[in-house]
Amino acid sequence: MAGTNRTTLLKKEKRNAMIRRDVAGWLIMLPTIILFAFFVWEPLLESVRLSLYTAKGIRLQEFVGFDNYMLVLKHPDFMHAFVNTFKYILWSLVIGFFVPIIIAILITETVHLKGLFKIGVYFPNIMPGMAMVMMLGYFYRPGNTGVLNILLSKIGVEPLLWLTNPKWTIPLIVVTLTWRGAGATAFLYIAGINGINSELYEAATLDGAGIRQRIRYITLPNTFSLGKTLLILQIIAVFQILYEPLVMTNGGPNNASISIMQLVYNYAFRDFNYPAAASLSVMMCIVLIVLSGLYFKATRSKD
Amino acid sequence: MKKMTRLLSLILCMVMVTTMLSACAKKEETVDSKPQDSAAPTTAATATAAPTQAAEPAEKIQLTLGIWPEDTLTADIEMHQGYVKTFNATHPNVEVVPAYYKYATDTFVPLAESGNLPVIFETWYTEPQKLINGNFVADITDILNEYGWTDKINPSIRELLSKDGRIYGIPRDGYALGLMINVELFEQAGLVDAEGYPIYPKTWAELAETAKKIKDATGAAGFCLLAHDNAGGWHFTNIAWAFGATFTTEENGKFVANVDSPEAIAAMEYVKSLRWDYDVLTPDPTSEGWASGFANLGTGAAAMYIGANDAVNQPTQVNGLPVDKLAMAALPAGPNGLQFSLSGGTPYMFSKNATPDQIRAALDYLEVMGKAPVVTDDAIAGMRADAQNRVNNGVPVIQRFPCWVDQDILNAENDILKEFGNVDSKLYQSYFDILKVDGNLRLEEPGSAQDLYAELTKVLQAVVTDKNADVAVLMKTADQNYQSILDNTVNK
Repeated sequence: MAGTNRTTLLKKEKRNAMIRRDVAGWLIMLPTIILFAFFVWEPLLESVRLSLYTAKGIRLQEFVGFDNYMLVLKHPDFMHAFVNTFKYILWSLVIGFFVPIIIAILITETVHLKGLFKIGVYFPNIMPGMAMVMMLGYFYRPGNTGVLNILLSKIGVEPLLWLTNPKWTIPLIVVTLTWRGAGATAFLYIAGINGINSELYEAATLDGAGIRQRIRYITLPNTFSLGKTLLILQIIAVFQILYEPLVMTNGGPNNASISIMQLVYNYAFRDFNYPAAASLSVMMCIVLIVLSGLYFKATRSKD
Repeated sequence: MKKMTRLLSLILCMVMVTTMLSACAKKEETVDSKPQDSAAPTTAATATAAPTQAAEPAEKIQLTLGIWPEDTLTADIEMHQGYVKTFNATHPNVEVVPAYYKYATDTFVPLAESGNLPVIFETWYTEPQKLINGNFVADITDILNEYGWTDKINPSIRELLSKDGRIYGIPRDGYALGLMINVELFEQAGLVDAEGYPIYPKTWAELAETAKKIKDATGAAGFCLLAHDNAGGWHFTNIAWAFGATFTTEENGKFVANVDSPEAIAAMEYVKSLRWDYDVLTPDPTSEGWASGFANLGTGAAAMYIGANDAVNQPTQVNGLPVDKLAMAALPAGPNGLQFSLSGGTPYMFSKNATPDQIRAALDYLEVMGKAPVVTDDAIAGMRADAQNRVNNGVPVIQRFPCWVDQDILNAENDILKEFGNVDSKLYQSYFDILKVDGNLRLEEPGSAQDLYAELTKVLQAVVTDKNADVAVLMKTADQNYQSILDNTVNK
């Protein structure tokens, strides 16, 4: 009897000691935890709840199970948005994935004016996103008042349709995204490349390797895991594409560029149908959680 | 040393936590002081608290005016400052608080749910039913009855602002769509009669020809078609009506989509021909919305545009068209002579959380502005100030679309028009004439108008961007989509 008491006491003391040791850590984390709980976790759980109810504004009315989910899935625009979202991802990989790698390699290989080029590629990132999107909207204008069409007319090319050609809409929006985002991603690659042991290059040069061989046998293998990580991050980011198509095309022409996030936006801010917006968001969230799981797996295998 | 840092970090943490908690506490306080903020179940308790406040007449009340002009419109603000003076002479207990709010769908719900909506605000013609269904706006039926205003509201507009026999708003203006004309471009193209008035098109077929002449003569677009957002579908329904289309029918209390009727398809084929046969539209209709349409018209980039009488300040004051260079004509007729004008009302609505006294104060303020159905000296002074302000800013002073049916108020408005009229009324003759023709005015399609517009806008986008678009197939898809939306929402 007494023995067990003693062991529990000992255990308690041990636990107390642990708590005392950890208390500073917890205290340091406390503000963040409170903020996270208040601004991230609570709204997240709340929107799951919201998606299962009908509502007036955001005031819940009655429990309807998965009705909102069915409503959202049955909406005629859903399939368009769903397919488009994957088109965005596909094009962003075709157009956007290799550009930063190429930029990074070019900049690291540059000897003179490195700083200038670095600033140059990062420059579009400094601009406010909305201003950039609106500016490129003027570039892509069809007819003879669009900037690109004016330039093309100088070399005798007929005005093109740009964004209003449904086949081009998504690729052109992806070009916009790439133009804006490639610089920042290139920096990550530059850091990665700079982290490669320079002796490898020296040895390779001594062995008579040219630039192409150095890239193929040293640079690329050494940045492979970084590329894998950035690939998944890019997919997650593009999955949530919203304001570029919203501003440039409003999802058109005829749904050619509508994304799932824009459907969410429309439900919430055009129709005030928050439960529908929430149920669509919850479904997106599940997909993103799966993708994030892949991301963690990819980064863990790197270590 | 290590201990010191640890101690210091601990202290800093504590400071951070306490400041955060105290910030939270403050927030709770303000929430408490605003009983409106609570969620639905608790409003019952707070609602009982509000009337006791209102029971004492001398109680100071606050009137937050969402209808206050925005900061840059200094002349309008001065005008309102004058209104406030007049208002406070009779309402010394009311503190008027300017709370400019430009209605926007992405800011509205947060404002309303947090209890920060101004007592009175303007919204769009599209919104009333949505706001009523969402329980965001106050039921003002009893107060309107008490004021004797209920029967003075144009009945068709009252219908738009009501649900289940209860009224939730009053009209600021009525509107009916017409054809706005940039007279300068008509003059340049030589499309004016002997007296110099623009020769406006009377049918949609004529509109295409007229637009072509203007495009050939001036290089400007003949007609501005919208295809960016739902406004495109909204305008298109009015075009299609003239071709004989009706988009939504009612059978056994259920709505049935009728988007792919031969008449609607003919109307869409017509729009397609404007782009591909006549080529008279602006370079990219898919980027044109309500406001950019007025910009095109006002700046001389397009000669004709579908617009309403309550937006005459858009091409002129906002986009710089001289006041005497704007004209409005009746919307053209279709191939069989059918002619309609889509009409509705731009409403004032009231916050759900406003007390009856605050709503009364708001109505009294509207009276001072001359926007209420009463003809008092104050009201006339308000109308005059408004008309003078329009004259000063180069906005046409024209008839209002009758949102009130009271004869006294119509007479008073006519007197103002005579005194301040700054444009040749002949430039607006055909527009106001057609509105008086029986059956010309037509309200928005029933069912789910915004979803109908969204479907039509998609078809518009397809036909103006694709020369080979198959209109019949697109309209059939739109019909199926609209039907499925109706079945999943309003027909349930």
